[in-house]
Amino acid sequence: MGSQIASAFSGVIALALVAGCGKPESPTISPISLPEDAPDLSLKGVAFARLAEGRVVARGTADRLDYRRSGGRLEATYGAATLYPQPGTNLASFGATRVVAARVEGEVPARRGTASSGVRLDALRGDTARTEQVHLDGDVLRTDKRVAARGPGYQVDGNGLFARTDGSVIQFTGGVVGKLQAGTR
Amino acid sequence: MVPLLLAAAAAAAMPEGPLDFKAKDMRIEPQQRRVLLDGDVQLARGDLRVFGQHAVAEYGDDPQAQAATKKPPKRKRTRQEATLAGQSVQRFTVEGNVHVQRGTRTADGDRGVVDMPAQTMVLTGTPAVPPVVRDGSETLSGERILIRLDSEDLDVVRPKVVLKRSMAEEGHAKPAVPVRVEADRLVLLHARKLARFTEDVVIHRGDAVVRSPRMDARYDAEGQLTLLELRGGVDVRQGERRATGQTADYDAKARTLVLQGDPKLYDQGDVLTGDRIDLALDSKEVRVEKAKGRLRPEAHKGEGSGQ
Repeated sequence: MGSQIASAFSGVIALALVAGCGKPESPTISPISLPEDAPDLSLKGVAFARLAEGRVVARGTADRLDYRRSGGRLEATYGAATLYPQPGTNLASFGATRVVAARVEGEVPARRGTASSGVRLDALRGDTARTEQVHLDGDVLRTDKRVAARGPGYQVDGNGLFARTDGSVIQFTGGVVGKLQAGTR
Repeated sequence: MVPLLLAAAAAAAMPEGPLDFKAKDMRIEPQQRRVLLDGDVQLARGDLRVFGQHAVAEYGDDPQAQAATKKPPKRKRTRQEATLAGQSVQRFTVEGNVHVQRGTRTADGDRGVVDMPAQTMVLTGTPAVPPVVRDGSETLSGERILIRLDSEDLDVVRPKVVLKRSMAEEGHAKPAVPVRVEADRLVLLHARKLARFTEDVVIHRGDAVVRSPRMDARYDAEGQLTLLELRGGVDVRQGERRATGQTADYDAKARTLVLQGDPKLYDQGDVLTGDRIDLALDSKEVRVEKAKGRLRPEAHKGEGSGQ
């Protein structure tokens, strides 16, 4: 699950990269009124699709996306992405997965970012996860905030998450409590 | 262990519902259809508690969920059922200082495997530290202990048992003698208050050693041993004396062993047969009914002279 969140970051980050290739000035903002830390690019009502090998691997929206060339920083508000994992991968068993966060910040070149303010994940398989904040660092996704997740056959409350973006590791950490659906005769 | 176990209140099947857990970490592996728990793992379902260092819960298809996809459900599912259904844990394995609690009983081992549909738990240990089941101060150990969670019956491979509660009969001034039993297999049948030892049963009581292919130990409602029934050929040795028969019954209160089925007593060259031979294990008195025999007087020359 966590790695899908990471992939959502990647999607948003890719969008920022694509957008960053265009003109740095936003047509809606006067250069004279720019504050010192103003973004080089600011978009509202963003929709994006990410393609890989001719296939849509993610699509999503954001209410607003700001990009700063310095450090390749981006900020997005009310971002949502649906990820379509490649068949046969670790993530495929979850099916299409939707990730939502009220705030996303990241540094594209460093492949680092943070999603915060109500991070939510819902997978087609039935998995759901909620947390307040999650960090991406390379191919590792982690948080030390509370995580509540449930899915087919399990429900867990944890005090952290460690995951790899390829889905090879999805681990709730820091003390976990939950329930497992148990078979009967 | 045996009597207390058999005297305990009637066990109920494990209740329906989810398995509660606590651990330091939880890892989900959906492709392998399993969940791994690590660090101070606690699992609970009803009154069963299992503790360990690591646990692996393996999922299978939930037959109830599968049936639900074929037929519309007759009742509205609860929130918990709705969110957890679809896959259910069929088996979980706990390793590392495994401790099991249920009612007054506890069990320990190195590894425990719970088969949810079969409602069994198999405990194993190491050669140095075999698995053990405890009830109060009494213990039962063996190479492998299978606990039936629906009946609390036990199936033990190579059990090591001391029938402690057989020692405290009333009316005996002498301190009781422990009865130690070895066998290849022990099955404790809770509802029948029966402990069935099979395959190379050897009973040690003081200087008496009794061998038989099969022995049933019967207990009263309070968990006191009342009767040992040995069947399939019995061989008793006590000092120089040896007795054989097809069957033997040991009355725990009277502390006598009754041999029947062509019983024979061999004692210092004497051979006695009869319909029945009673051996008092404490006093070493022997009673033979309808005795016939061959006595060797020279073997008893010194007897009765105080020598």
